[in-house]
Amino acid sequence: MSEELKNITNRVMGQINEGKIKMKPKIYFVIGSIFTFLGLVSSIIVSTFLIGLIRFSLRSNGRMAQYKFDQLLSNFPWWTAVLAILSLIIGIWLIRKYDFSYKIKSIVIISAFILSILLAGYVTDKIGLNDTLLFHNGPMKGMMQNYIRGGELQNNIYKK
Amino acid sequence: MIENEELSDEEIVEKVRTSDKNLYTIIIKRYEDKLIRYANNLIKDKNKAKDVVQESFIKAFIDLNNFDIKKKFSSWIYRIVHNEVINIIKKYKKETSLQEDWDFESEENIEENFEINEIKEKVEKCLENISFIYSEPISLYYIDEKSYEEISYILKIPMGTVATRINRAKKIMKKICQKN
Repeated sequence: MSEELKNITNRVMGQINEGKIKMKPKIYFVIGSIFTFLGLVSSIIVSTFLIGLIRFSLRSNGRMAQYKFDQLLSNFPWWTAVLAILSLIIGIWLIRKYDFSYKIKSIVIISAFILSILLAGYVTDKIGLNDTLLFHNGPMKGMMQNYIRGGELQNNIYKK
Repeated sequence: MIENEELSDEEIVEKVRTSDKNLYTIIIKRYEDKLIRYANNLIKDKNKAKDVVQESFIKAFIDLNNFDIKKKFSSWIYRIVHNEVINIIKKYKKETSLQEDWDFESEENIEENFEINEIKEKVEKCLENISFIYSEPISLYYIDEKSYEEISYILKIPMGTVATRINRAKKIMKKICQKN
């Protein structure tokens, strides 16, 4: 073995034996995997419900909502759109952490993920799951009712 | 230590993890030459290549419990070196045409006239003239004799992209290196 290679071996093994570098315990990686999985699931759930919520808020402006552009802009909960996009980005970033992801082209993964979320959000809203969970029950009940009331109040002001 | 030298990489890694850290020396001995050459082909600086390999062995040891022994250790350690090389390139902002990330469609007939052995000899000499994005897969394929699947794992790109880049690299080599 050449002198320089001996040096690499000695330097690395020296640091290991002196305790300067330590192996991370298995539990560290297990916890990491669990958090990655939970993060991914949370991002899917959050973005799906936010997409549903965006559709829900569009419907709550009435049938002609798309024509009442000013009303729509002032009433629209922009935070949901920002949060939905943020959740999508986090979801894509987390999905890229999985070992299988490199086998598929990035553009395919990103498109498939976004399309699935949009579809899931649409279905969630269509079957009324958002209404049930957000408006009538669940932790966001109060906030959603206030939001709808606020929207109705604003609509009445516009009508006057 | 001698009886352990017969063991596979994965068996040694298991022993390092559970009982004898000193067996990591065998792993270092097995890979340092190959990895220094691989890193040097990419960053074209032997001292930096040595630093990269040393750092990679340290990182590999720290993350050894994250290695799945059902997989090949060689691909895993090459992957770590690849990441370190990318970090070094970013750090020193070396002109290595990383922005050249377009790929051409595969053209199987182009390399028909090239014999494998002929290419193998020329690859190392020609690598300096080829951009990083093509020199890396072709170096792994011809010099380190990795399969498309292993290259795909090391570079974290789909196998189709590996094939495309290797074919493109051969095409570039044919153009550039035959002149020399």
